[in-house]
Amino acid sequence: MANENENLSVWTSISFWRRSAAWVTGFAVILLIWLTFDTMGQISMGTDADLQKAVAEGKEINRVPAPTVINYHIDYKMSKTRGHEVPVIGAKEPFFGKEWSPKEAAALLHLGKLTVQAKNCMNCHTLLGNGAYYAPDLTKAWLDPAWQKGGPMQAMTNTGTTEEAMAKFLQNPSQYPTHARMMPNLGITAQEAKGVVAFLKHMSSIDTNGFPRNFSKTVEQFKTGGTNAH
Amino acid sequence: MFGLIQPFTDVNHSFFGFLNQGPLTLTIFLHTVIVLPMIWIYFSEKKKLKK
Repeated sequence: MANENENLSVWTSISFWRRSAAWVTGFAVILLIWLTFDTMGQISMGTDADLQKAVAEGKEINRVPAPTVINYHIDYKMSKTRGHEVPVIGAKEPFFGKEWSPKEAAALLHLGKLTVQAKNCMNCHTLLGNGAYYAPDLTKAWLDPAWQKGGPMQAMTNTGTTEEAMAKFLQNPSQYPTHARMMPNLGITAQEAKGVVAFLKHMSSIDTNGFPRNFSKTVEQFKTGGTNAH
Repeated sequence: MFGLIQPFTDVNHSFFGFLNQGPLTLTIFLHTVIVLPMIWIYFSEKKKLKK
């Protein structure tokens, strides 16, 4: 009897492995369901009231701000505490020469989203990590200095604002030599172009934890091998 | 301490955000909840086998 006991091993017991597997699988199921609901809070769009409060207090409330964020100036600044750039929503600025009400802004953004889907932008571009890298990443395209005042895009399209430059370009992209692989003409109408620009501006205001990494690196920083990342 | 515990800087506070703040916090948490019950299962199985 004593001899038999010595040979008893839990490691060869089926019941031990069965119970362990049941525990790990069961825990993983609960964890994934919990994680799914936790993510909902991170990706839900905020309200206009949240946005006004965030601007007034100068601190971020939602990762995804309300559509009315198109009425504000959006900047991209290095955050020392977080170790990467974060969108900073600043003072009000007109978008296509006016301030958009929450309803109008939501409708415009919706049109932009439908256009982006219908024209299959993701076939070449990347939006929030989804898509392709045949053409430039559009996640923070609104913040690209090339489209800002003094950048080559406003001069090329003969416009005075970022939104007008983007809208004009989108309606006739094959006319402007922007990239080695030029964008084809997709038949985007003037109204659709406005929607797409609103969509791009809103997307740039989303806090993506610094994605795409090193977007704001300047040519000089690349040359010296420097980085903003800590 | 070795950057293991860092200040919470996430936008939306959540349990998972807290777990992901340091390089080892998530690992330690998962090992705790998976390995500790397995140790308990091990000894309970050993007791059963001895009987």
